[in-house]
Amino acid sequence: MKNRKTKITIFAGIICALLTGAASWYTIVFNESRFILPMNLSAYSFRTQDLPMIISGILLMMYILYLAALFLKAILAGRHRKPAQNTRTINPKWGFLGLFGLAGFLGFWTYSADKMIFPFIAFIFFGFFGFFYEGRLSNTLMDERYRENKMKAHLSASRAALTIIFLATLFLGQGRLMGNLEYTLIAYVIIISLALALKIFLSEFLLYRYDHDEQLEESED
Amino acid sequence: MPDFECRLKKYRQLKDLTQEQLAAQVGVRRETIMRLEKAQYNPSLKLAVDISRAVKAPIEEIFIFE
Repeated sequence: MKNRKTKITIFAGIICALLTGAASWYTIVFNESRFILPMNLSAYSFRTQDLPMIISGILLMMYILYLAALFLKAILAGRHRKPAQNTRTINPKWGFLGLFGLAGFLGFWTYSADKMIFPFIAFIFFGFFGFFYEGRLSNTLMDERYRENKMKAHLSASRAALTIIFLATLFLGQGRLMGNLEYTLIAYVIIISLALALKIFLSEFLLYRYDHDEQLEESED
Repeated sequence: MPDFECRLKKYRQLKDLTQEQLAAQVGVRRETIMRLEKAQYNPSLKLAVDISRAVKAPIEEIFIFE
């Protein structure tokens, strides 16, 4: 039942995306790009050619509201759920998602093309390499020693990330360190993204190390 | 490293319990029991009490702090 609902939700999303794409194509080709190019809505007068964009817009809005409702429902349901006893089951191969961090390099291109720096934030995705280690600790009973190790790992990772951010702030905060304030700020965004990625990765790596290395020494009775 | 002596192994064997069985009884992993027996992990008061009840021995005889 749950799988069927997920499939329907994904299917509805694909339909909405296709309809929006088709309506955008129609308005670009036959309707002077109305609703795509900026327009003065106070002087708006209806045309029948506007209908595809209006209908697809309403459908897209309804879909987004539906997703928001699902999200809220999931949050509310999670509040009443008993806390999990075991870690979640994750395939270590999800760690390859960390390669998305390479998308951060797109920032150099977008900055030179139209001064956009948002893609630099994608460096945070390097943190997903932590899934390699989280996956290896899948379905582990979270007893008090595990929780203690987890806190220790999070603390060490946060300390490392905060130290990097502090040092970066100290050095880059001098201002025109690289001769250009804009480059300085870009470097700052990159360093903060990488520091957050390091925090995400280190939390999982250290937890695995604390937990796993101990087990290597252990033997039954 | 915690600085104490742990006699859990002795009391566990007296009760004829395996590490796995004791771990299941007190709700921890077998590795945690191993660490405890080697006195390499300092348990919470709750875990110490649970263990003492499981092996039916006083806490102060299982965990000896100098």
